[in-house]
Amino acid sequence: MTVSSRITTAITLSHCMLWSAIGLAQPASPITIVLADNAPALEKLAAEELQGQIDKLWGRRANIIAKSPAGGGSEMAILIGSPATNPSVQALVGDRWPALSDQGIVIRTVDSKGGAQLVVGGGSPVATLWAVYELGHQWGIRYQLHGDAYPAEAPKFHIEGWNIAQEPNLRSRCWRTINDFPIGPESWGLAEHQRMLRQLAKQKFNRVLLSVYPWQPFSHFEFGGVKKQSAMLWFGYRYPIDGDVPGRSIFKGAREFYNPDLAGKKTYEERTQAGMQLVRGIIDESHRLGMTVGLAFSPLEFPKEFAAALPEAKVIRQLENLTVGPGAKQAPDNALLAELATAQLRSYLTAYPTLDAIYLTLPEFPEWDEHTESAWNRLSARTGLGKTVSLKDLEQAAAKRTTLISGERGVKAVRGNVTSLDFLQTWLSDPKRLQRPDGTSVELYLIEVDPVFYPYLDKLLPKDAGSMHLVDYTARRVAANTELMKTLPGTKRPRPLVADPSLIFTLADDNVGVLPQLATRHLEKLAKSLRSSGWAGYSTRYWIAGDLDPTVHYLSRVAFDDSVTPEQAYEDLLRPNAGGGGISERSIIGWNQIEKATDLIDQHDIGFAFPVPNMVMKHYAATEPAPAWWQEVSDLYLNAMNEMYRAHDAADPSGRRLLYTLARRYEFALEYMTAMQAVRAAGVARANRDSKTQLAKLEAAAEGLYNGLNALSTVSAEDSSYKGVIAVVTEYGYRPLQKEIARLQDEMETPP
Amino acid sequence: MKPTLILCFLSVALRLGACCCPILLVPIVASAEDWPQFRGPNCSGVSTSRALPVQFSATDKLRWEATLGEGVSSPIVVAGRVISTAMTGPQEFSVLCHDAATGGLNWKTSFATGALPAIVHPNVPASSTPTADADRVYVYLSTLGILGLDARTGKELWRAPLEVPNYLMDWGAAASPILYQDSVIFCSDDDLSSYLIAIDKRTGSVQWKTPRPEMLGGYATPVICQTPERTEIVVAGTGKMKGYDPATGEELWTCNTLLRTIMTSPMVRDGVIYLSAQSYGDTERILKFALLEWKDTNQDGKLSPSEVPKEFAEKFAKADKNKDGFLEGDELDHAFQSPANMAAGGSIVQAIKGGGRGDVTKTHVVWNLTNKAPSNISSSLVVGDQLFVVKKGGICSSFDAATGETHWITRRLQNLGEYFASPVAGDGKIYVSGDNGFVVVLKQGRTLEILAKNDLGDSLIATPAIADGRIYFRTKEKLLCIAEPEGTR
Repeated sequence: MTVSSRITTAITLSHCMLWSAIGLAQPASPITIVLADNAPALEKLAAEELQGQIDKLWGRRANIIAKSPAGGGSEMAILIGSPATNPSVQALVGDRWPALSDQGIVIRTVDSKGGAQLVVGGGSPVATLWAVYELGHQWGIRYQLHGDAYPAEAPKFHIEGWNIAQEPNLRSRCWRTINDFPIGPESWGLAEHQRMLRQLAKQKFNRVLLSVYPWQPFSHFEFGGVKKQSAMLWFGYRYPIDGDVPGRSIFKGAREFYNPDLAGKKTYEERTQAGMQLVRGIIDESHRLGMTVGLAFSPLEFPKEFAAALPEAKVIRQLENLTVGPGAKQAPDNALLAELATAQLRSYLTAYPTLDAIYLTLPEFPEWDEHTESAWNRLSARTGLGKTVSLKDLEQAAAKRTTLISGERGVKAVRGNVTSLDFLQTWLSDPKRLQRPDGTSVELYLIEVDPVFYPYLDKLLPKDAGSMHLVDYTARRVAANTELMKTLPGTKRPRPLVADPSLIFTLADDNVGVLPQLATRHLEKLAKSLRSSGWAGYSTRYWIAGDLDPTVHYLSRVAFDDSVTPEQAYEDLLRPNAGGGGISERSIIGWNQIEKATDLIDQHDIGFAFPVPNMVMKHYAATEPAPAWWQEVSDLYLNAMNEMYRAHDAADPSGRRLLYTLARRYEFALEYMTAMQAVRAAGVARANRDSKTQLAKLEAAAEGLYNGLNALSTVSAEDSSYKGVIAVVTEYGYRPLQKEIARLQDEMETPP
Repeated sequence: MKPTLILCFLSVALRLGACCCPILLVPIVASAEDWPQFRGPNCSGVSTSRALPVQFSATDKLRWEATLGEGVSSPIVVAGRVISTAMTGPQEFSVLCHDAATGGLNWKTSFATGALPAIVHPNVPASSTPTADADRVYVYLSTLGILGLDARTGKELWRAPLEVPNYLMDWGAAASPILYQDSVIFCSDDDLSSYLIAIDKRTGSVQWKTPRPEMLGGYATPVICQTPERTEIVVAGTGKMKGYDPATGEELWTCNTLLRTIMTSPMVRDGVIYLSAQSYGDTERILKFALLEWKDTNQDGKLSPSEVPKEFAEKFAKADKNKDGFLEGDELDHAFQSPANMAAGGSIVQAIKGGGRGDVTKTHVVWNLTNKAPSNISSSLVVGDQLFVVKKGGICSSFDAATGETHWITRRLQNLGEYFASPVAGDGKIYVSGDNGFVVVLKQGRTLEILAKNDLGDSLIATPAIADGRIYFRTKEKLLCIAEPEGTR
């Protein structure tokens, strides 16, 4: 049987057999797992995972053996691997092995003299691991981000009737981690990362992207007599934990919220050592699970102490101004700049010699534009670009477009991109710069090239480099601009001329911030665009992962079956362990409400709950009543919460965890919106010199935040991002409100 | 619907009620300084201890601490022993006995629980507070029933299995037994088959059992009310406060002024029973509306059998008059809520005289307030001449116990969050435990005076116990004994 280039599945039979047979007797016959003696590590892992799943589902211990049973007995055998890795598979299947790519998987019953045997394998060892996980999925196990949810009742075990063969329709399925902000994975220790990585491997993600920043404790380098000294998390902001923190018991007595692997590390050296150990741990675990690892950083941003080594370096505009970059004194071919950039790049390659790829990020706020014209002339001379388009044309296109980066910021982005691209072409012309310590080269990708350059990207990218594209911040905004994706050169060919382009999928945006978000339907549209444009795949962008099970499950299922819709994926996520009876229907209604809320916030005020110091009190400064869309968002969170509770109450106890977590999370969002409305009303009362109302509203706001955070704390014990939300909203909302309440009370008690 | 109101359904199952009784009037089995059951002597929440601490913390004035395991049941103190319960494994329930003075573990007895019913936050399986005398400890767990243990060794002496209670909203069991003379009195108000039972404390045999068919799920602890006429067992429940004959379980009187869901406990003083309660919704909100809100999963305005726990199948079938397989309209009104008791939501503080006969609704209500003061879980405290209540947000109120006149209403304790534990009092002070781990100490009296805000560092859901100058706080996992240093007491 041949496998189509995209997908060929025959799961109907197995589904029917599974669910109609729920509740039937456990397998009576011994189960054996057949694994080659010298099987690759990933296939050994696959066998162990399969063994564990059988044990949890049926309480049966399956023996792992090296050869197929002789046959004729009652043993039920599951063969792991491919003809290339397991002689037993070769002997059983021979030339009937399907044509699989290195990512293709097969789960198939094969008849033999001794009876039916089940082959679970793939076109590579990691694909075999995915095949085992897919079998678990077919058995009803759902790989949620915090752990596996087993079915309320195990289906009947059988090895007959299986015939699944799948190929991914998106070959690059990348999960980004680390990032910035305490609400994101920057707060996760290695144990939490490992747990997440295990779940991602089960969902067939195949790459991990470590997104790091110069001020973080994940590298060390010296240049021009300057030693790196910055080693901090989340822009250096601190989040003390004391009795005032709602839900504080989940912090287990810690005096400060911090990444657990870096907590208590006082010196630069200690923090950097711990940070590197964390990153190495993530890389090692990713590799163990068959995922490749890339590291993304901005090659033109340096910790601010390196201003001393780069004459008249520019302070880069961002939170707390922690970095510097080149300025007027540095042309794109400036040797000093190239050496400094090399020192930073080499620090990562030296610290993490097993990295598979480096992703170089172009600046989010490009400021280096003093040399744009000369850089453009050099780029044009090298690529012939100037014959096709002028710099002016590009600037105008960027100014007029509908993405967030438009107008003056769009022009600035184009000019900064020109300078940066000129620098990168020159700098990376030396292949040694991308070599690991052992002399081998890492893959190279460029991230966030401005969309006006897409049509010319094949000429602009450094040799052999791939690309990853943001297009815009939120999935809704990208989905409104999918035509930009088609401007990549050669998109009508089977694959574009640019190597392996992928799109940044914003599952949840940091600007929308601490509020729960979903954008699955926009991502559905984007996934279709990726396929139709021949792009390789996507890389996720998110901060709070705990909200994202519905989306991640959809991405996992649609990657190997392009007919899957978000609704089908949502239903599939819940039914085996939570049960039927309208549970998934209620959840779908609830998640649709969250999508609407996400859209509304994005549309009206994308930075509404951006996790920075003025996030709450900025609303106090306003003198106008809250806009109507705030109440709409509040109602949507309320309805979503109610739907989650409804689904929770109807669900089988074994499937309630996710529903309860999301119910409490949406409850937090509802209380947050209530609090913001009260803050706004307090601001209006202040403007009207109505102190009594002002005080009452401030108290209501503080209470709303307290209640919301308290509700969230009940489901945050295992989730550092949720803990980060509690720490951030306490620091930037609850405490300032309490302070203002005390100030106002004093003022009111003081005689005029 | 406001989230605070939703919590009425979701954060319910704690029976942290209140009740007070004049210690001198009631035949109590333990000494005056003991704290022998939930909220101490006759559920009063009031201790005669002196020199109780004002300022303290998890380390300051800490006499001893012990790790128990998960639980929200209150500790009790009898004859120098502190008895606690906890879940010490996924299906392991333990009763622990510590020396009150030193904290040394006298004994720990564990029981396999079997599969436990669904339960919702903040309730947990170990939520029922034991009771004890000098000889025996009496504990309740939903899947085990009531157990009689040897107070000296923890050895199981007898076991009285009881039906596992069923709650439409999965609140979970949380009722606590009390002792009266030779009987262990236990009220199990659930949504299926409520009853009040008396069990012989020496043998575990049932002395009498009185069905309470008009009741929905609730958690009020029975109290003993002594009047010039007689001694009564008084139990608050759906819509009705009822008095029972302790010897036979016969219903003596009913006062039909309560609300749909009663999770707080009454308390008694001078033959008057006091109760504060809050039940979600207005005076029209009978159970049907909650069912349509939360159990009608597909929101089609009617209930199908699959939308109701299977334990309620018989009730469902009986209520389905037209046999169309659904409950709707009038069928739903009376499927689970007694037609004779269609109590609804609201918020009340009441004083009712004991000692009546028959329906005393129009004759025995001393005063009845409808205001926003009460909590749905934390019970009221009557101490001195005041009735004190606290609710979510640290909002507290005080009323004159004799007249219901307001001392102050809905003022903030400056400590936000949930309040599940009921306030307790002693030595002229009122101790108010917040879920956030702070204990606010107030001066007993007609004006609100905050003496201290003490940080115990971990969630406080259980009501504290006071005995012999020591206060016992049960956090999520631990038991803390707080007292002034010996020389200063």
